[in-house]
Amino acid sequence: MSSVSVFFQHLTNGLTLGGIYALIALGYTMVYGILKFINFAHGDILMVGAYVGMFAFNFLRGDATFGVWTIVAFFLAMIISAAFAAFLGMFIEKVAYKPLRKAARLAPLLSAIGVSFILSNGAAWLWGTQSRKLDYPFANNPINLWGITVTPHQFLILGVSIVMMISLKLFVDKTKLGKAMRATSLDQDTSQLMGINVNMVISLTFAIGSALAAVGGMLIALDYKCYPTLGTMTGLKAFVAAVVGGIGNISGAMLGGILLGILETFGVAMLGIPQGYKDTIAFVILIFVLLLKPEGILGKVEKEKV
Amino acid sequence: MKKNTLIVALVLVCALLVTGCAKSETTTTDASAKATKASAPYKIGFIGPMTGDNANYGILISQAAKLAVEEQNAKGGINGAPVELIIEDSEGSPEKGAASFDKLYSSDKICALVGPVFTGVSFTVGDLCQENGVTMITPSGTHKDITAAGDYVFRTVVSDGLQGEVAGAYFYNELGYKNIGCLYIMNDYSQGLYEGMKASFESYGGKVSAVETAQLGDKDFRTQLTRLKAAGVEAIYIPNYTVEMAQQLEQASQLGINIPFLSCDGFSNPEIYDLAGSYTDGVIYIGPAKVEESDSYKNFYDNYTKKFGQSPDSFANNAYDGANIIMKAIEKAGSSDRKAIRDAVATTKDYVGVTGVINFADNGDLVAYQGVYKVNGTTPEYLGAYTVVDGKLQKVN
Amino acid sequence: MSSLLLTVLIFTAIYSLMAIGQNLITGYGGMLSLCQAGFYAIGAYTTAILSTTYGMNFWMTLPFAVIITAAFGFLIGMPTLRLRGDYLAIATLGFGEIVRNILTNWVSLTNGPMGIRKIPKISIFGYQIGQSNKLVFLVLIWVFVLFAYLLMRHLARSRMGRALAAIREDEIAANSMGINPTKYKVCAFMLGASVAGVAGSFYVAYMGSVMPSTFTFMISVMVLCMVVLGGMGNFAATILGALIIELIDYLPRLLGITNLIPAQFKQVIFGLILVIMMILRPQGILGREKFNYFKKGKTMGGDNNAVRN
Repeated sequence: MSSVSVFFQHLTNGLTLGGIYALIALGYTMVYGILKFINFAHGDILMVGAYVGMFAFNFLRGDATFGVWTIVAFFLAMIISAAFAAFLGMFIEKVAYKPLRKAARLAPLLSAIGVSFILSNGAAWLWGTQSRKLDYPFANNPINLWGITVTPHQFLILGVSIVMMISLKLFVDKTKLGKAMRATSLDQDTSQLMGINVNMVISLTFAIGSALAAVGGMLIALDYKCYPTLGTMTGLKAFVAAVVGGIGNISGAMLGGILLGILETFGVAMLGIPQGYKDTIAFVILIFVLLLKPEGILGKVEKEKV
Repeated sequence: MKKNTLIVALVLVCALLVTGCAKSETTTTDASAKATKASAPYKIGFIGPMTGDNANYGILISQAAKLAVEEQNAKGGINGAPVELIIEDSEGSPEKGAASFDKLYSSDKICALVGPVFTGVSFTVGDLCQENGVTMITPSGTHKDITAAGDYVFRTVVSDGLQGEVAGAYFYNELGYKNIGCLYIMNDYSQGLYEGMKASFESYGGKVSAVETAQLGDKDFRTQLTRLKAAGVEAIYIPNYTVEMAQQLEQASQLGINIPFLSCDGFSNPEIYDLAGSYTDGVIYIGPAKVEESDSYKNFYDNYTKKFGQSPDSFANNAYDGANIIMKAIEKAGSSDRKAIRDAVATTKDYVGVTGVINFADNGDLVAYQGVYKVNGTTPEYLGAYTVVDGKLQKVN
Repeated sequence: MSSLLLTVLIFTAIYSLMAIGQNLITGYGGMLSLCQAGFYAIGAYTTAILSTTYGMNFWMTLPFAVIITAAFGFLIGMPTLRLRGDYLAIATLGFGEIVRNILTNWVSLTNGPMGIRKIPKISIFGYQIGQSNKLVFLVLIWVFVLFAYLLMRHLARSRMGRALAAIREDEIAANSMGINPTKYKVCAFMLGASVAGVAGSFYVAYMGSVMPSTFTFMISVMVLCMVVLGGMGNFAATILGALIIELIDYLPRLLGITNLIPAQFKQVIFGLILVIMMILRPQGILGREKFNYFKKGKTMGGDNNAVRN
């Protein structure tokens, strides 16, 4: 294998990993952008979405092997999973976060950690700790392109995250609801005075974020399989990606995700950083960004008002 | 301050009262009436992960020990006295494993122990058993250093030391590889196998020219696999757990890697075929030696399946033999004297168990062989049993 | 007294030390630190390595554990404590994971995933204290808990405690009043970290062996639960919280029904405790300790806004 093609293969791998982080980071950043709140449980909602999608897909497709029906069944399963996750997200918001809106800064954070724990351990309790396969709805055969080997799934991950990013931006920038969300993110009380139903906007934010998480979860589970801690570590790194790109900024989530994926891959592949420290790379990057440019690459500086 | 300390003290007192009055034993045998009531029962302990991530192992294995004890009691116990098996949950952690041992030793006053199941817990409990003089037979702790704890620690499972040795010898001599790579997980099991295989392989003149590592729980191995492909090795050794290996095989295929894979007894877990399907085709792995289908094995298998509704795995087989060896030792010692029991276990000679003929080496290891398998489609084919004697690979009939 | 109960009380003491540290950082300092497990690990491995490789006596390793853990507290605290709550939480969470990562991978120092075994017991004038004489160990460690408790209480009433309270309530106002928030926050962080380091030292001296896989995020969450349950900003309450959480952790074993309760059930309970306490009683069971700075005596009580920003 020539070193050029090795380089490009690593690049492709990095882009795939980055795409996965971007998928998750988009949801994180959206919720944070509107509510200034890290939903620790975001990764776990993703995991629940993956499981629900898997059950739905297995139920719908029956014994069918690859074909039009499996692809249709997969999409249907995605919709079911997204809807379930949206409701789950709204439920969690209502029960665990809403009562704490006016409380101290720490309170909703602690509550979110609790929710995350409940979800991941509850899933382990209900569905067992072993990994479960989510079958591809299509034959995911490797394709040889100019010396590197890729699979359709890798294109799918990148493609879907780009589509998600664009749709989110359009939604937030161009629609009326999007405007309401932007207003709420700036100042909740004033928005309420202006006639915006803040509760509805917040619920909607969680619903959309969770639905996106579920879709991302299913795509990721195709590669990583379904297991109770699917959302935890990857979710954490996706959050790092969101911060690096600029938390609250949708393009930033995409940029941060891709950047982190590539840095992790090349750090190990080319710079010779021992593989065991791969996860450390993400957090070191986080510390650096927080020290040098805490608002992230594409973020705007927020002045804290007295 | 006063109100605080008062409350704290009150709670402490309540806790003391509650736990003092509460049950503190988990006895789980149905001793048959044939055993005399007058004789004090012989107590054997079992430590395993009964809850938590790997509870299925603990349950499967403990059931085998249960069966052994029940069958003994149905025969009238040992010298007329009933046998009691007390099962404690290690939760897979050394802390809780130590607490389990503590309870079995101090409260129940067991005379011997079957278990633990995991390597990490086996180390901690092994040290405790050695220190307090309690015979321990683990049915599944495979790390080569477990029996190094002392002369009270035995095992009825083949040590990873042998597995690594056979692996290296087989890959070089039988498969003809001279230059291989390895991708292993940073945990005691995988690292131990890698080191053993490497030492053996290189002693014959082979070279492990590319080594990659990963963490337990990693899902993406593309970087490591790409580097291994670029290194141009003839084969890749993956001595890991099923979940990681499934990812590795699938991603290798997706990266267009056609290099053959070699593996370890982790591959004998049937879960690998659920997760990796056709990607397992062609993998050659070192696993437990196939046992002759003896009558005693068939009986055990049938009784176990009938009683518990699931079939035993190889570790359950080991636990059955381990429990029986202990009970035989108690009989030979004639008392619950822990030292006498240990000596009787150590001098076990040619015990015919369901896993074959059992002999213990001087250090408590099982004198045994490893099996070699090749996956055809998604079915493992047995290629034979091997061992290494005086640095030479030997096939066993 | 049942040997198992002694075990529970010993671990309560070990966790109390960590929880006291967490209380100083989170309850007093208002900083959400999620890496007590990391400092626990650092203290543990310091004692483990020094006593096995260098043959040091346990008592000699203690000051090293304190200093090294505090140094890491400083290293991780300096860059991150200026950050807002959410970012600090993630940064500390990451740090905890990095510690575990390094302990697993730096094989030449820590023996990697295999961990370190045959760690010598604590000895006082030749008399060995460990799992074979639990009662003595219990008394010894509770002496340390008492010492930590008194130290922290003293700190809480001192200038540092008042400064932390001011910073916690309104950092900008405190800053304009001349209080240097970074200095006090880093101090509190270092202190909270070193207490956890001491807990780690006692842990390895008791267990006799250590593995990196023990020091998970779950431990940090458990410690957090103890502080939240007992009462943020109330050290005695923290000890109570530690006792309750440890009892929950060991309850199935104490009642003899271990094999029936799935392990995940306990973890779900811990998660529920966090959520429910935050919603229903954020000040914890005993509430925040209130100091009256003007009178000689002290009044007790909690208020519903104890966790005020």
